[in-house]
Amino acid sequence: MQRVPAHKGMLCHLIKHARPDLVKTIEETQEVETAVVGLGRQGTRHAGLMREFGTTVTAGVAAGRSGQRVHETIPVYDSMTECIGEHPNIAAVSIWRHFTSARDATLEVIEAGVPLVMLITEGIPLRDVRDILVAARKHKTVLFGGNTPGCIFPPEGIKVGMLPDVFYPEEVEHGKAGPHGVTIISRSGAILYHMSDALASVGIAQNAVLGIGGDGANGSTFQDIAPVAMDYENTDLVVIAGEIGGSKEELLAEDILANPDKYPKPMVALISGANAPEGKTMGHAGAIVAPGQVRGTYKSKKEALESAGVTVVNSQYDLIDAVQDKLAGKTYFDVGRYYEKMRTTWEEPPKKAGWGTLITKIAPNEILLSGYPIQDVCARGNLLETAHLLLKLELPSKKVLAEHEKSAIAASKIPAPPITRFEGEDISATLAKSFLMDETLQGMTESGKDGPVNKTIYSLGRFARYLAHILGNEDAMDAPYDKEDFTSIIYRAVTGEKKVDSKRAKIIETIIATCVDHGATPPSAQSTLLAATVRPSYQMGIAAGVGAITDVHGGAGAEAATFFRKCIEVAESQNKELADATVIVLNEYMKAGKRVGGLGHRIHTTDPRRTPLWKLIDDSGLGGKCVAISKLVTDIFERVRGMSLPINVDGVIGAIVADLGLHPDLAKALFVYGRVVGLSAHFFEEVASQPQMRRINFGDAVYKGKEERSLPT
Amino acid sequence: MRLYEYEAKKVFGATGLTIPTQYGVIQSPDDLDALDLTFPVMMKSMVLIGGRGKAGGIKKAKDLAEAKKITADMLKLVIKDYPVETLLVEELADEAGACYVGITTHPASFNVIMMVSAKGGVDIEGVALETPEAILKIEIPGNELELPDNIANEFTDFLVKGLGNDAVKPAILDAVKKLYATYQEYDCKTAEINPLIITTDNQAVAADAKVVIDDNAIYRQGGLFELLGLKESRHDVSELTSDEQRARDAGFLYVDLLPEDFEGDPDKLYVGLVPGGAGYGIFSIDETANVGDRFFDGKVVPVNFMDSGGGPPVEGVAEMFHVLMDKKLVDLIVTSRFGGISSCDIFIRGTVKALRDRHEKGQRMLPIVGRMVGTDLPSARAYLEKALVETPEALKNLDIVIGNQKIMADVIKDGIAKGFKVKAQGAAVAAK
Repeated sequence: MQRVPAHKGMLCHLIKHARPDLVKTIEETQEVETAVVGLGRQGTRHAGLMREFGTTVTAGVAAGRSGQRVHETIPVYDSMTECIGEHPNIAAVSIWRHFTSARDATLEVIEAGVPLVMLITEGIPLRDVRDILVAARKHKTVLFGGNTPGCIFPPEGIKVGMLPDVFYPEEVEHGKAGPHGVTIISRSGAILYHMSDALASVGIAQNAVLGIGGDGANGSTFQDIAPVAMDYENTDLVVIAGEIGGSKEELLAEDILANPDKYPKPMVALISGANAPEGKTMGHAGAIVAPGQVRGTYKSKKEALESAGVTVVNSQYDLIDAVQDKLAGKTYFDVGRYYEKMRTTWEEPPKKAGWGTLITKIAPNEILLSGYPIQDVCARGNLLETAHLLLKLELPSKKVLAEHEKSAIAASKIPAPPITRFEGEDISATLAKSFLMDETLQGMTESGKDGPVNKTIYSLGRFARYLAHILGNEDAMDAPYDKEDFTSIIYRAVTGEKKVDSKRAKIIETIIATCVDHGATPPSAQSTLLAATVRPSYQMGIAAGVGAITDVHGGAGAEAATFFRKCIEVAESQNKELADATVIVLNEYMKAGKRVGGLGHRIHTTDPRRTPLWKLIDDSGLGGKCVAISKLVTDIFERVRGMSLPINVDGVIGAIVADLGLHPDLAKALFVYGRVVGLSAHFFEEVASQPQMRRINFGDAVYKGKEERSLPT
Repeated sequence: MRLYEYEAKKVFGATGLTIPTQYGVIQSPDDLDALDLTFPVMMKSMVLIGGRGKAGGIKKAKDLAEAKKITADMLKLVIKDYPVETLLVEELADEAGACYVGITTHPASFNVIMMVSAKGGVDIEGVALETPEAILKIEIPGNELELPDNIANEFTDFLVKGLGNDAVKPAILDAVKKLYATYQEYDCKTAEINPLIITTDNQAVAADAKVVIDDNAIYRQGGLFELLGLKESRHDVSELTSDEQRARDAGFLYVDLLPEDFEGDPDKLYVGLVPGGAGYGIFSIDETANVGDRFFDGKVVPVNFMDSGGGPPVEGVAEMFHVLMDKKLVDLIVTSRFGGISSCDIFIRGTVKALRDRHEKGQRMLPIVGRMVGTDLPSARAYLEKALVETPEALKNLDIVIGNQKIMADVIKDGIAKGFKVKAQGAAVAAK
């Protein structure tokens, strides 16, 4: 439904009373920014429900969780002070703290100057409530609660608090909301729903439903809010929902009698408790405050309000009659359409569980790194830039990229830990060992805004050093060289060649950058994510993922390289065409029951990563027979086996590694090196945005990051 | 939580107010033998309600024989439904004057409000009505932990003037300040001394004490509990019924609207209520009675108040139904879940669990009618639909309207019609 603009709604009207300066911002941005204070189970859950309903939930506040996110994208701050510093336009806050800590949290929100505060917390000690009220008066805060269910503004499609989405606004034409209606003000949450429900059943809309709170002592009272509601031009009538106990209704009646001008519109009061047993008697001291008056009973409230000219009812049927009568039969929407909309709510299928990741979107034949197609990112062939993108979800500026390069180069200069590769040990295991044994990473911060990206960049420098150490290339790496960029460092570390061939260097860095990530479901990412749920050190989390890269997962490149070499051997020794030799080798593999690595993919038929790699190698003129076979092998395989298993990125990498004359094992090493980036991104995302010890259903991961976008040129 | 007078005085004593010597708290005339008494003594019945003096619950005793007789008589008293079970025996202060000092929270502004009067020891409400000028009331809007000096002085001057005795000034000032500090430190809702006795040597002694502790703050009043030797907070209202106790043990609020031994009228329908939230808990009682009056000749009687609290677990929801189904009087259960902070899903799981458990054990089953709307409705609906297929027999009398296609009053109306039908069928079967 098309909503009423934010600056014309009741919410903005309420904010105007406390902070007129914010109205202009709301008009300009067409948004009322809100925050959620207290991110326990309920606060977190309702932050999500509010946002789903349409509320702009700008931020969350939870001590000790600055830098994290809830619901994937809502940033969390340690304190309201920090939050308001980053988001000065926050106009409404809901507070979900436990009653033992609600006082301090609320005082902070009030003192930060937030004009509208919904204090959801129930049962706050009276002395604490008084402190809150002292502050609210001083700062002219509009405070609802404690024990408020919050407020909902159906015409604007905004709610602050926990009211469920069952309210229907005026419909000025089909599908277009209007601002008129009755305003409901209630002490109790549940009664409020039932009143709203009753009125909606006869076509009477609510332009706002406001819970002032069920606790004995609380912020705004009926006589504070009812006049403001009546002052809103689109309110036709105000419904008050009161109940036995306390004297809130009697005080309203007194105010109506004393200041009739403040109440120019009709009012109906529903008071519940007519049939309740005699409540607790009030103490002496209370009776002296208001000598000679009985307060708190159904009778006292009904009589007081009726003497002030308010119609008092005690049932849904009478409420409907009284409001219809006062509005002279006016309706605000078609009841049939209201029920139709409600039907979609109650017939809605249960939502599929899902959790979000903002890093990489994986769809058939599509990989987006924070919105950018991977083939475009990889074509730039810059590992550090790609790492920054995955960690920060945006590309770095030139300046930042230069700093990254400096940091990575410095990290690559420090000697590797004294790790030896055991006979037959998987190179991923050796790399994991090195990472865990590396003292230089100890004590390097991973928190704060740039902690994660800085530690990842530094680690990439370290991994270059480990590779050089493990592969015996440290001499080459440390040989004096005139051009000290990270590309050449990687090249020398990986190949052991002292002289850098810039074409070959670019190909190698591009291969590494191509391997950075494939979403949350590859086993290495799963291992890192599972580890991250218990908040280990970054090194431990990454080592878990690196260790999960084996011949089964991530080893296909090396297998493919071996396969292609074998094909060439056969072609040369038996003097065959490459295609024929490939058929022979394929048949041998079949007979021996061996799998051909690098063919087929569980998601992609046309792996988006392979084309740019082929183009790169073709353009460089360095491609040879293996790359040639890599382009033929899919068709040949189909002819031999009758199955379509398109070549994947591992296969292409294997072919390139083979043609560059590098050891097949290096295909695996490059894959691990690149994947450290993705594992780092997933590790830090898990820590920042998910609860500890959560159970991860990997199949439920949903990409919630940036939509597809083009790289800046 | 209301404190007994002897407890309130212990609190006052701990904060430095002067209190009469407490000889002991006794439960029988024989208990007096063990006490070291200096006669005359004050004998005061310990009940958590006012008006003890008028009811004969406060007396002086000049010797042991009289004290024993007074004890025996007082232990037979029932003051406004509160049976007297213990007596406080304490020193009788030599009184030269009496005043009133009280503190509470203002019902409109919620500020602390403090009141004093030099006309103490009498019915202070009467004073407030007849001679309001004899009472000085001041609101303390800053909620300070110590009484601001200017206000303390104003109260003291007012009392000193009223008593006509300058010599009591230091004692009064001290008492006024200490009572206020006590009120704040111990999270009181009310703290009152009436009378604050002025002794012949110009001391101010709290001869009576009334303290109500804010229930919401009890969690942080461990020191108070230790001081009074209490293990847990006390229920204020007179004794709980067995079902009220059962609900309390299970962690939800429940009140019987009819006496425990109430005999039902076979022509009437007795409706148990499992509403959502305290507010609707009260309102659903009205709605049931109203619908009964409007459509069923006034033959519908709601039997309970219930508040499930914010988000009860599945087991808690199930227990709410068990309590009512175990209650012989109840014919029908009306339930409503308007899920805000609570979840329709957990509610329906609890409901189904209760019915399945009872069906399996062959326990009494009652028809349940109701409605659920709001948070988690889709998953709740899916669960209910599956449950109805899995165990149709256990759930055959469960009618839950999904969504707000009908307002709750209509759900109650249709449910009551069904309840009468089921009751008539049951009666017919029993007659055979």
